[in-house]
Amino acid sequence: MKEKKTLGLYLHIPFCAKKCDYCDFYSFTPSDRKAVESYVSAMMLQMEDISDACRSHVVDTVYFGGGTPSMLPISQFSRLMDSVRRNFRIAKDAEITSEANPGTVDLKYLKALRKLGINRLSLGMQSLDDGELKTLGRIHSAEQFTATYEAARRAGFDNISVDIMYGLPGQTLSSFVDTLRGVTMIDPDHISLYCLKIEENTPFFAMRDTLSLPDDDAEYDMYMKAVDFLSSRGYERYEMSNFARDGKYSRHNMKYWNCDEYIGIGASAHSYFGGERYSVIRNAESYINGLEILQLQIPIIEGSRIIEKNESMNEYVMLRMRLDAGVDMNEFKARYGVDFYSKFGHLLEEYVEGGFVKRIGDSYAFTSRGMFVSNYILSAVLDFSPEEMSAP
Amino acid sequence: MQSEKQKHIRNFSIIAHIDHGKSTLADRILEYTDTLTQREMENRVLDNMDLEKERGITIKSRAVKLDYTAKNGEQYELNLIDTPGHVDFNYEVSRSLNACDGALLVVDATQGIEAQTLANAYLAADSDLEIVPVINKIDLPSADIERVRGEIEDIIGIPAEGCPAVSAKTGLNIGDVLDKIISDIPAPEGDENAPLKCLIFDSYYDSYLGVVVYVRVMDGKLHAGEKIKLMNTGAEFDVVEVGTMEPFGLAKCDELSAGMVGYITASIKFIGDTKVGDTVTHAENPTAEPCEGFKNVLPMVFSGIYPADGARYGDLRDALEKLQLNDAALVFEPETSIALGFGFRCGFLGLLHMEIIEERLEREFNLDLITTAPSVIYEITKRGGEKIRIDNPSNFPTVDEIETAYEPMVKANIITPTEFVGGLMELCQDRRGVFIDMKYIDTERVELHYDLPLNEIIYDFFDALKSRSRGYASLDYELSEYAPSKLVKLDFMLNGEIVDALSFIVHEEKAYARARRIAEKLKENIPRQLFEIPIQAAIGSRIIARETVKALRKDVLAKCYGGDITRKKKLLEKQKEGKKKMRQLGSVQVSPEAFMAVLRLDDEN
Repeated sequence: MKEKKTLGLYLHIPFCAKKCDYCDFYSFTPSDRKAVESYVSAMMLQMEDISDACRSHVVDTVYFGGGTPSMLPISQFSRLMDSVRRNFRIAKDAEITSEANPGTVDLKYLKALRKLGINRLSLGMQSLDDGELKTLGRIHSAEQFTATYEAARRAGFDNISVDIMYGLPGQTLSSFVDTLRGVTMIDPDHISLYCLKIEENTPFFAMRDTLSLPDDDAEYDMYMKAVDFLSSRGYERYEMSNFARDGKYSRHNMKYWNCDEYIGIGASAHSYFGGERYSVIRNAESYINGLEILQLQIPIIEGSRIIEKNESMNEYVMLRMRLDAGVDMNEFKARYGVDFYSKFGHLLEEYVEGGFVKRIGDSYAFTSRGMFVSNYILSAVLDFSPEEMSAP
Repeated sequence: MQSEKQKHIRNFSIIAHIDHGKSTLADRILEYTDTLTQREMENRVLDNMDLEKERGITIKSRAVKLDYTAKNGEQYELNLIDTPGHVDFNYEVSRSLNACDGALLVVDATQGIEAQTLANAYLAADSDLEIVPVINKIDLPSADIERVRGEIEDIIGIPAEGCPAVSAKTGLNIGDVLDKIISDIPAPEGDENAPLKCLIFDSYYDSYLGVVVYVRVMDGKLHAGEKIKLMNTGAEFDVVEVGTMEPFGLAKCDELSAGMVGYITASIKFIGDTKVGDTVTHAENPTAEPCEGFKNVLPMVFSGIYPADGARYGDLRDALEKLQLNDAALVFEPETSIALGFGFRCGFLGLLHMEIIEERLEREFNLDLITTAPSVIYEITKRGGEKIRIDNPSNFPTVDEIETAYEPMVKANIITPTEFVGGLMELCQDRRGVFIDMKYIDTERVELHYDLPLNEIIYDFFDALKSRSRGYASLDYELSEYAPSKLVKLDFMLNGEIVDALSFIVHEEKAYARARRIAEKLKENIPRQLFEIPIQAAIGSRIIARETVKALRKDVLAKCYGGDITRKKKLLEKQKEGKKKMRQLGSVQVSPEAFMAVLRLDDEN
């Protein structure tokens, strides 16, 4: 029997109670219930439109990201989940994740989510230092986070991920270690560790000179500390910024790093499907109009791009090298029919010598030190530009 | 005896300190003589290089003929010969002045006499010119005509009673200037029947005509078809055309005769054949005496010029060749640097000349350049008596080989308000200057004389002078002689390897401070790389300064969210582009911009 291809499904909920000062994701505060409902309806239309193309796929991961998916009333969440099941074949053991913001959900809500089939929760903790949380413009305190976390456990979530951040204004190595200690004490299944990046068009960008941000060396120390500390507590750093115990990797995110297929539903969501990358326009109003009022002929897809072989190989290396396992040369050969060593491996050798890249068996992977300078190395090794055509 | 024709010619130039309004006055005179209508008037017709308009200085000499009907109703032919206003071009200035019979000396009514006012007035006096002072900018509230009149009489020593006081900007009293030109500047002399004798004061290359030579006819007559001889080079040519310089181009005429200013074309291919100051005569029946004062102009300042993109070496060579067509003072020869690849060692008249050439290469030929620190010519007597001249640090002998090293000196003349004297003397002291004397011009201004090494002036002396005097001090200098000096070659090493393009020759006492400063600048400008990079400055094998660029520890975009990988791809591609532009200096990568930042010492004080 022919094995069906798997597919990830990402649903973007762009609503937030209040946008954090460092965030540059597509999100806004919805004007009323009606706005939320029409957005959900549009997402349902988009799923209907695409379902035919996915007939031969099994969806084995679903991910509600944002924004704040937990801003959705349960009734709207329920409409979306119905639509997901109606339009796609969902694997029995599918990982279905939703992000949730502490302070926006209670036990009742979490129980309802669980009942809808959500089996993994990703909670934004960021820090356990209330001063740092306040600087970030987060709407919750450390105490509220803990309450939400405990409620989630009570609601029956046995797979919970917690986001924490370093490189925060005023953060020190010792306040960061406090956060690390605190997060491991509540024992989540998965931890994502992000470095604060000051993005343009955020309030932080305008204030960047007054933020007293830790410098690169301090961030390096924090990252190395985190890798050590978390591994001593049983968390495996399976990807540059992601740690899991008991092999509970984020299966959905693994699709990104493995160059597997996924479809994005909702404004600003990205897809990689049928050898093509594209994204949905970053404007909820146009998105809704484009789907609901067909005669307006608003295109909702942009940046569509067929990924040719060379680009695909480069993407694959860029993404796989984020994984602790790195690139397996045999897998690469099986996937592209190209010898990894002669295309990329030989270029990585000089970094092996310096202790930035390690070769284990048939795989090349970054060391921790190498991961932290991976852009420097990858920009030297990769070349996305189309290969020169040989003369006819 | 002057001919009737000569009586109706006036050949003059305008001289001034920079920014005193020389070019504006020229414009006004052109306008007043109806040579140009208002509509045709483009600002500064005489300065037609973009660069000249921007910098407000004249780089090359120009000449233009004006027709003027004087108050007495008689027609005059006025030849205005514009001169470069910078010490780098002093020789060219002196030749242009020799082509004239008089000069308008423009003095700013608010600033009074400045260093270049004096230097130019002396040059004009050396050429026996009648000097007509013109006080300009009288429309400004701070104008003090009487004080400036007094200065002209006391300091330069020429009568200024009744001299024109004008505003070139508004056009006020320009008629007075024209009257003075007719009444005070002598008509040219010269014997039309004597053998031909013309002074070359400028030339340029035209792709159709060949070299166009600007001359002042001293004696004799010249017609198309005659065979001429350039007395210094000995080259002979058949004259194709003679004529005069009209505001919008050349106008052919039948004859150039004694007293006239005009041009000659003779299918001349190389501008080097028509040296400024040379004498044009007939091949048969030549004049017995050439014009006095001819000199071969030699470059004073040398620098390596490299294309930032090594693949454009050929373009750089073509561009230099094109510029050389019009600039006999520019010399260059191929040079190879381990750090920078293939480029050219170029020689210039001075720093301004160098900057102009660099800017023209970048603007007109769209080249990105890397230039090494400017150097002067040093003379070395080696042990064993051999004498060598060095214009490139890489040829500098080792300490043991040197018996005595000599460096070129200049005589500098600085004019400054008294309040800045202390600071400026300190500056000159710091630049190894030897104090000669100090003269009070009046109660407020002082003239300082120093002997200074040329290599101390070519870096940033002028900027330092301006910043220590809030822009008020002015400088003029002339080359004097070579003096013994304790010179050393300073090398810089990155990761233990010498970067040849960074080496330069410096006085021993200055070596330490320079070395420290450049090492610091290198540290600031070299991006952190995967390994620690030691920076060392050395004289021979002796390390005299050291810095370290720490190893890069973070270069990562940790977030790769929601399947959006396009941003990360773009970032890596951009980073790759940046890396392609990097120059590999030994095992270290440095961007061309960083390299230039290291060599630019103008923020030093």
